[in-house]
Amino acid sequence: MENFKQNPIVKKLGFNRIILCCVLVVMYIMFSILVPGFAGMSHIMGALNYAYFLGFLSLGVTFVIATGGIDFSIGPVMFCCGLISGYCMMSYGVPTGISLVVSMLIGLAFGLWNGYLVAYWTVPPFIVSMASMNIAKGLASVFTKTQSVSWPRSQDPAGWFRNLVKAGSFPTGLFLFLLVAVICAVILNKTKFGRFILCLGDNREAVRLSGVNTKKWEMLAYALCGLLVGIAAIFFVGAYTTVQPGYGDQYNNEAIAGCVMGGTSMAGGSASIAGTVIGVLIISLLQEGILALKMTKDVQLVITGLIVIVAVYADVSARRRKN
Amino acid sequence: MGEVILQMKDIDKSFPGVHALDHVSLDVRAGEVHALMGENGAGKSTLMKVLTGIYKKDSGSITYQGKEVEFHNTRDAQAAGIVIVHQELNMVGDLTVAQNIFIGREPRKGFRIDDKKMIEDSKALFDKLHIDINPREKMSHLTVGKQQMCEIAKAISHNAKIIVFDEPSAALTEKEIEDLFTIIRDLRSQNIGIIYISHRMDEIKVITDRVTVMRDGGYVGTLITKDCTKEDIINMMVGRVIYEKPKEHSMVPDDAPVVLKVEHLTAGKMVQDVSFELRKGEILGFSGLMGAGRTETARAIFGADPKQSGDIYVNGKKVEINSPEDAVKHGIGYLSEDRRRYGVVVGKTITENSTMASLDEYMKGPFIDKKKELEITQKYIKELATKTPSADQLVVNLSGGNQQKVVIAKWLVKNSDILIFDEPTRGIDVGAKNEIYKLMNKLAQQGKSIIMISSEMTEIFRMSDRIVIMCEGRKTGELRIEEATQEIIMDKATRQMN
Amino acid sequence: MNNKKKFVLEQKWIVLIIVILLYGFFSIVSKEFHKTSTMVMMLDSTYYVLLMAIGVTFPLITGGVDLSIGTGMVCYALTGGYLVKFLGLPSWVGMLVAVSFGLIVGIWNGCLVSILGLPPFLATLCSCMITRGLGSMMAHNFAVPWPGVKEPGGWFHRIFKYTVGSGRRASNYPVGVIVLAVIILIMVFVLNHTRIGRYTIAIGSNKEATRLSGVNVKIYHIAAYTISGLFAGLASVAYAAAVPTIQPGTGAGLELDAIGGAIVGGVSAAGGYGTVEGTLLGVLVIQLLKTGLPFIGLEANWQQIITGLVLIGAVIVDVIKQRKAALVGD
Repeated sequence: MENFKQNPIVKKLGFNRIILCCVLVVMYIMFSILVPGFAGMSHIMGALNYAYFLGFLSLGVTFVIATGGIDFSIGPVMFCCGLISGYCMMSYGVPTGISLVVSMLIGLAFGLWNGYLVAYWTVPPFIVSMASMNIAKGLASVFTKTQSVSWPRSQDPAGWFRNLVKAGSFPTGLFLFLLVAVICAVILNKTKFGRFILCLGDNREAVRLSGVNTKKWEMLAYALCGLLVGIAAIFFVGAYTTVQPGYGDQYNNEAIAGCVMGGTSMAGGSASIAGTVIGVLIISLLQEGILALKMTKDVQLVITGLIVIVAVYADVSARRRKN
Repeated sequence: MGEVILQMKDIDKSFPGVHALDHVSLDVRAGEVHALMGENGAGKSTLMKVLTGIYKKDSGSITYQGKEVEFHNTRDAQAAGIVIVHQELNMVGDLTVAQNIFIGREPRKGFRIDDKKMIEDSKALFDKLHIDINPREKMSHLTVGKQQMCEIAKAISHNAKIIVFDEPSAALTEKEIEDLFTIIRDLRSQNIGIIYISHRMDEIKVITDRVTVMRDGGYVGTLITKDCTKEDIINMMVGRVIYEKPKEHSMVPDDAPVVLKVEHLTAGKMVQDVSFELRKGEILGFSGLMGAGRTETARAIFGADPKQSGDIYVNGKKVEINSPEDAVKHGIGYLSEDRRRYGVVVGKTITENSTMASLDEYMKGPFIDKKKELEITQKYIKELATKTPSADQLVVNLSGGNQQKVVIAKWLVKNSDILIFDEPTRGIDVGAKNEIYKLMNKLAQQGKSIIMISSEMTEIFRMSDRIVIMCEGRKTGELRIEEATQEIIMDKATRQMN
Repeated sequence: MNNKKKFVLEQKWIVLIIVILLYGFFSIVSKEFHKTSTMVMMLDSTYYVLLMAIGVTFPLITGGVDLSIGTGMVCYALTGGYLVKFLGLPSWVGMLVAVSFGLIVGIWNGCLVSILGLPPFLATLCSCMITRGLGSMMAHNFAVPWPGVKEPGGWFHRIFKYTVGSGRRASNYPVGVIVLAVIILIMVFVLNHTRIGRYTIAIGSNKEATRLSGVNVKIYHIAAYTISGLFAGLASVAYAAAVPTIQPGTGAGLELDAIGGAIVGGVSAAGGYGTVEGTLLGVLVIQLLKTGLPFIGLEANWQQIITGLVLIGAVIVDVIKQRKAALVGD
């Protein structure tokens, strides 16, 4: 085992990520045995539909967690984006393209607001998250007068955005998601922004005392997260059409779960985009499999909760051993 | 002096990469004050932590009151009558004095904590020690000296047989030190064994009966205080290591240009109207007691903490410094006294730490130029003789001295001209210490200007061209190295308090 | 030297003044608001929020948080209600089960935080998910009505609201006020005069120093979360009395009112300081806003936005004060 871990190829790929991939494959085989027909395209597409929006949420929150913070307002904010931009489109006749931009801008605005409060006002991230969660729900409900919003179907002329998710039977969404993931990985590992947020997640004061404007970079991490949440909203409505005001909480946990399972440390300072992608795929597959097994969403909530606890404990105890 | 009540024999303890204690022995008799001496990093605090169960020893034995013992935590040790007055204060700031003294063993009436009795007992305790502190006061509202007194009161209230004082006088005024000695003599007459850790040679001569000296985690020897001289002890402490020679006169020409001028700087209670000048190529020592406001002054200059008033001039030009970012732009670099918290990012590599302050210069378009970054890092690893297998090593795996070199490298990569070294050799072993001294002298010769904050008198005399002395947030003196003596400095460092 | 003490007192009084001002403001603007029925309605929903808030005050003081109280409360109410309504067990069994369930989740949270060393918000966020799922599973995805006031087993309503007469002439006495007052007095005592309270503050102020003083920090850290869980359990009973039918899958977001109340009432988000009486006042502020805003023509959804802003505002006021204090040097 130790030999395997020390193998240079394994080191390069990351031992944890290899394990995660194995888990993904094992899960897939298991569900295929348990559920007749699970191996077919429809279930894979089902899982992917879930993976897109969850993936963008998870990628976004990866940056925030890398700074040592947290944002669990992302689910309700995503709904807020989908509701307000959708409402603009359906009730005020705003063109699709502009609506999509509006969705991203709303996400970005929430990200900036969260980041500003955390970085410049040192409000604890969990409080900011709680407040934003409520504000997002409230704003969406006020704006839509507590009505759910259905986005145009793919047959409609205004429904072209659905091609972003799936063009015919071609999973465009998968490629867009992977493209964004690669961009995120480059941002995290090759740019100044990525370097600084990872360092400040480890030791904020040391970075600040090196003359780095930590507040700015920290705020930008939340802003980037917000932007990705805005994009997530587009993929949510692209796959599921209807958004209801007052919901969205559950996706916080799943997004954070994907991120943490992938090896991003809650303590901040280390993050893995590839890990996040695999983590999201595992959760999406789990969701699809559990529904296919005719179990309810509740089972999945409980399982995901337990998985996160195990994943975080693994990280915490690994850190403890190191020190 | 009574019989031996505590005997530590052949204590051995290693941490990853450090042999912290190498077969150290120590015995303490009832009714004696036993000094434990050694340079920083000699292993004194580690030995005491092994004694009180905070660390587990690797081998060796502890015999206490005739029985071999092994304490698993401070609570066990306390219950057995061994207590420690810590160097870092262990106070719960949000609780009151009385609540702190009796924490963990509050007197109770049923479920209810008997606060009244606690306050009365604290008062009685303070009366016995002739200390004037209100037990109802919140701990965070007391001065450092008073907090220390509370620690002592807490230790005594445990019915201790052995009390360890870990550098108790570092933060005390002369008056408070006298009070402390009265208390210690009183305890000695009650047949309590006292271990007294201190750097101050004069105190050792006044208060202790025997001295045990440690060096680099090893045991050097034990002497009877009245039979030995200061020099004997110093020789044992220093050993074979040859230090940089003390400066006898300033190396800076009188007409050297002023690179940093601070005027009437005020920032909070700890920095009151501080003014001074720093010349090119100069090492300016900042001396004073713990809590004199030297670190706060440095942090205010560097923009790490907000300041209320005062002007800063760099190379004759007035500059606005409101954040470390501004300070770094003006060529100032700061090495904190607490490396792990404020100096290095331990989970990152040497390379990432080295270019932290100057990453803008190591970019290729939007991306970091990792090759260029690696080159400069390797250059400074070589130049500072940092001991590491590679530049990709995580800083957490380096020793204290090498971590310090990484921080220095950070500022050299940035090419900062004004460097503030805050306790640059704290927690660094003797050999590495000497290297840091050499390095500082070399930097000064190259024309860098250095402010060195140090609580070690020897360090101040060895390195400084000029000395600024602070006390309670104010500058109380400024001396050329030629005119400075320990006595003058001590006098100025305690001037305002009495 | 006494700056901090003075400021703490101020904070409590300021919140009290805000409570009075809000009450006065809404009473003047709207006649409806002043009615007894409105007050009784407001109190009904205040009981469970207040119970949660009192409980969560303890983890907050340790410097942690408990995000599982909202979904937890619904989960316990669903479980207890299911036993009573669908299995025909007496109400007191249902209540006992609900409260014990809360207690167990509290201990579980405490163990995750204290023994496994997980970050509190993450550990309790997981518990939030788990209790949400468990609640639905326990109730087999049914919406669960507890027995009504007049139905057999409906006596527990009278803990909070005593109804005399019937129909139009019925008058409701909010006896819950007395029950809560007793509970608050007990918890004020626990926080200020027992070891649990003392060590809760000590852990939040300086955990390492507390440990080195020989206090079994792990146990007391768990105790703080246990109190939070227990009170979420108690809140579930009040919730069952206030809400006719308990829906599975709800409860997320209710913790905000409780935690927000505690923070507004002066509990330091960084830990080390907080009072039960402050929490009471903070919860009143939030509840007054919730009840009062519709009376001045703001639709219900605005409450959520305003509650969020109030929470941020309370913390920022605290931050500004601390910054000022730091500058003056105390």
